[in-house]
Amino acid sequence: MPVTDLSSVLRPVSEARGLPNAHYISDDMFAAEREAVLFDNWAGLTVGAEIPEPGDAAPVSFLGIPLVAVRDRQGVIRVFQNTCRHRGMILVTEKGRLRNVIRCPYHSWSYALSGELKATPHVGGPGHNTHDNICRDELGLIEIRSHVWHDVIFVNVSGTAPPFEEYVAPLKERWAEFEHPIHHGGADSSFQFDVACNWKLAVENYCESYHLPWVHPGLNSYSRLEDHYNIEEPGAFSGQGTLVYRPTISEDGRKFADFPGLSAKWDTAAEYVAVYPNVLLGVHRDHVFSIVLEPVAKDRTVEHINIYYADPSAVAPEMADMRATAARLWHEVFKEDIVVVEGMQAGRMGPYFDGGKFSPAMDGPTHCFHAWVAQRLTEPLLAAE
Amino acid sequence: MRQSDEAALIAAHAARDAPTLVQIYRAHAESLGDEDAAAFYMTQAYVWALEGGMPEARELHDWLKARGREA
Repeated sequence: MPVTDLSSVLRPVSEARGLPNAHYISDDMFAAEREAVLFDNWAGLTVGAEIPEPGDAAPVSFLGIPLVAVRDRQGVIRVFQNTCRHRGMILVTEKGRLRNVIRCPYHSWSYALSGELKATPHVGGPGHNTHDNICRDELGLIEIRSHVWHDVIFVNVSGTAPPFEEYVAPLKERWAEFEHPIHHGGADSSFQFDVACNWKLAVENYCESYHLPWVHPGLNSYSRLEDHYNIEEPGAFSGQGTLVYRPTISEDGRKFADFPGLSAKWDTAAEYVAVYPNVLLGVHRDHVFSIVLEPVAKDRTVEHINIYYADPSAVAPEMADMRATAARLWHEVFKEDIVVVEGMQAGRMGPYFDGGKFSPAMDGPTHCFHAWVAQRLTEPLLAAE
Repeated sequence: MRQSDEAALIAAHAARDAPTLVQIYRAHAESLGDEDAAAFYMTQAYVWALEGGMPEARELHDWLKARGREA
C-alpha cells in the first residue's frame, strides 16, 4: 500500500490538514483506497429501484468487479459476483427481467435467483447432467454481502465489515422517524452526473454548508448559511442540516404528503448526510433522496441520484408535474456543485497544495470524513506492525 | 431433425424464445427411439424450460431424473 503521512489529518480540526494530494491524483492510492476504504466497508452499489420487480437483474461493475444485483421471486435483493463458477463467463450483461434462472450463455449452467446451481447440462457427457465430481451445493454463485437501506443496496465486498445494522446504527437512530417505506418518483426522479473528480471530493462538498452562499445563491435566498448546522458523528457519518426547509406547493395548492408521525422538528428541518464511504442521503418531511457515488477512476465519478417520496400518493400520475419540478430543482443544485468538485480535483495537481487548512467552525463535517478515511488507511498498517 | 425444424430452432435461439425451443427439442427427443440421443434433446428442452420459468421444467426434470441423468 502506498503510504502518505496522515498524522496531520488525524489531528483535531483546528490543527488538522486535509488528505494529501496523492489521495486524489495517484492511481496507486486509488487502488489502495479501493480495498481499505470501499471494499472493507459498506459501500453503496446501486438502488433497489433499478430492479423494481421480482426477477429483475442489473449488472453493475463496481471498481472493476463484475457484480449483479438480483431481486428474487419473494422480493429479496441479493448481490452476486457476475461470474459463472464453471469457466468464468460473465453471466448477466444487460439489465432486464429474468424469468426463473440465471443461465450462463456459454454452457448453460443455470443458477436460481437465490444463487444455487440448479442445472449443469451435459456435464457428465451428452444427456448426462450430473457428474460425481461436480457438487452443485459447492458451486452456487458467489454472494457478496449486501444490505438494503433507504433503497440503497450497500455491499461489503471483503466481507470483513461489522454487521450493517451496527455500522449504520447511529444514523438510523438519528433518523428513526424516517424508517418508513419510500416510493421512487419514476423515470425523471432518477438522473446521473459524470464528473471529473475523485469520489471523495463529492462527499466532502456534500457534507458541508459553507459553500452554499457562493455556489448555490438561489438556494441561499431562502436557506441562509446561518440557518444550517453541522452534523458530525466521528467514525460513522457527517453532514449538514437546515432549519428552514419549505416543501414545494404547486400554484393550485397541491403538495406532497409527509411521512407519518414526524415530530415538529421536521416541519422545517432537513438533513444531508454522507454515509461513509460513498452514499449521500437527504431527508425531508415529504421526500428523501440518495446519491450513490460510483468511483470510476482517481479523477472520475458517476453520481447516481434517486428521489423518493413519503407517500404513495406522490407517485400518482396527477403529481407528475410536481415530481418533475422537484427533480429539476435538485438537478440544478447538484449541477451547480460540479464546477467546485472538478475545480478541487484540478487544484490538487498543484504540488505545493498541502491538503488545505480547515475552518474549525465550518469544515468539521469534511474533516470528520477525512479522519475516517485516514483511519481506514492507517489501521491495516498498524495491525501489520 | 428436419430442415424446417432446424431453421425454426436457429430462429428461436436467436430470439431466446424459450417456449418454442422447449417444444422443438422435446418433440424431437420424443421422436427418437434411442434413450441416449433423446436425453440430449430432453436436456436442451429442460434448460430452456428452466430459463423460461415454464411448468414443463418439472416434467422434463422428472424424465431425466428417472433415467439417472439429473439430480
